[in-house]
Amino acid sequence: MLDMKKLLYSLGILVFTACTPQPQAIEYGADYCDNCRMTIVDQKHAAELVTTKGRAYKFDAIECMVDYIQQSDKVDFALILVNDFTQSSQLVDAKECQFLISPNIPSPMGGFLSAFHSAEEAKRWQAEKEGKLYNWEELQAYLSQ
Amino acid sequence: MFLLLPKFQARSIELCPTCTLTSLQEAIQIANPGDEIIIQAGLYNESNIIVDKKLKIRGVGMPIFDAQLEGEIMTVTADSVHIEGLEFRNAGRSHIKDLAAVRIQRRDYFTISNNRFINSFFGIYIENGKHGLIEGNVLTGKAINEMSAGNAIHCWYAEDLVIRHNICRHHRDGIYLEFVNNSVISDNLSEHNIRYGLHFMFSNDDSYTCNVFSNNGAGVAVMFSKRIQMLENRFEYNWGRAAYGLLLKEIYDAEIQYNIFQHNTIGILLEGSTRLNYKYNVFKRNGWAVQMSGGCLDNVFTQNNFLTNTLDLVVNSRVNNNTFDGNFWSEYTGYDLDKDGQGDVPHRPVKLYSYVLTQSPESIVLLRSFFIDLLNFSEKVSPVFTPENVLDNQPLIQAII
Repeated sequence: MLDMKKLLYSLGILVFTACTPQPQAIEYGADYCDNCRMTIVDQKHAAELVTTKGRAYKFDAIECMVDYIQQSDKVDFALILVNDFTQSSQLVDAKECQFLISPNIPSPMGGFLSAFHSAEEAKRWQAEKEGKLYNWEELQAYLSQ
Repeated sequence: MFLLLPKFQARSIELCPTCTLTSLQEAIQIANPGDEIIIQAGLYNESNIIVDKKLKIRGVGMPIFDAQLEGEIMTVTADSVHIEGLEFRNAGRSHIKDLAAVRIQRRDYFTISNNRFINSFFGIYIENGKHGLIEGNVLTGKAINEMSAGNAIHCWYAEDLVIRHNICRHHRDGIYLEFVNNSVISDNLSEHNIRYGLHFMFSNDDSYTCNVFSNNGAGVAVMFSKRIQMLENRFEYNWGRAAYGLLLKEIYDAEIQYNIFQHNTIGILLEGSTRLNYKYNVFKRNGWAVQMSGGCLDNVFTQNNFLTNTLDLVVNSRVNNNTFDGNFWSEYTGYDLDKDGQGDVPHRPVKLYSYVLTQSPESIVLLRSFFIDLLNFSEKVSPVFTPENVLDNQPLIQAII
């Protein structure tokens, strides 16, 4: 009886974790961008989308991910992740980030766009390198022009 | 007395291992603008040389500048600098900065010719420059993977460059252009690079002629540019999952003529590219000759030879107003009864099997099977799945020589 319960419980956990979308690690130098097909090498600017079904789309630059979102007819993205500029290859939630568009910080696809998880870091880099700060919604509005 | 001397009486300053002057930086310091510095053969362990005057720096017998992996070798901060006949070895590398063997920093009218670059991270780096000539250089890197390699010739924000007769090997990208306009890239050989033989973005009004791009890890990828000419180039031996003879992404108003695309996984991949004319090209023995996806309009393919490719054409975009009339397709099985050199029945270049393949790449194992031939044949007889309007109305009976 106890065994059955344990079995059902562990099966339940298994099913639950299988269905929860997880971010997939980006293999730099091997994976390629699902928008522009260039190999992902820049650890400060890569980004990732995970759908509710768990499929991960990887991008070599944040501007590529925004372009992909705007061009695709899917709306059910469970996770929208970007690399924090100050901590390369650490994927963080885009909605919690500040985005800096600065002519002095290039990004792989000419968007000059970088993401910062910490608002102080974002302001510090903006002071040093000039540019304008956006949050995720403002960024999407700006880039859709 | 000095004032009576004509200003443009240029001196010649000589540098050699056994002369009083053995350092190029010293020679530059004592030189006047307009002088010539002649460097005799020998080994000069010098780096971080700043060229801050208009000078002609010329090597005799290929003198070697070895940075021993420390810093850039030459940084040019003046207009009208001429660098010729030198060998640059072992320039420094860094994960944070893009270190180059020779960098032109916001300057114009430069010439970098007939030099050799061995084991650089970035070879020649043009950082904001106009009216420059990069000619006859040989750049051999030691790139192992994309992450730890720089580009052989890297140009960022430039105008009116001529890049010709260079050989670029074993770097990340052979020739990389970003925001480079009104330039001519011709007669270069770019091969065995880890990523792209040629990569340009946001670079308009450029022409690429008579280059060879072969055996590069990802082929050639060009993006977001307008009014491009690509003539008489060869794109060959680019194999792999993400390798393209030529990837054209968001390219507008281009002429792609007289090129050879051979032995590539995909000859040309088109994405979002509009108003391109493809004429007199040869697609030979590629996996796919042409893959078209994602909103490509007004592309005209005519007078091309499609010879023995596994699959000639796949079209993935929903809208199609591209034309494919007047090409030679080795797969064409029609007839020409009125002997006008054109087939009497239109040719449908898209096979149903190529759609199956793009949806599930594993079905490649069925490639030469009878079942697939049957599938393609029945689709040819009455097209149901493949686009109705993708056809060649005047398929040529003979290949164009």
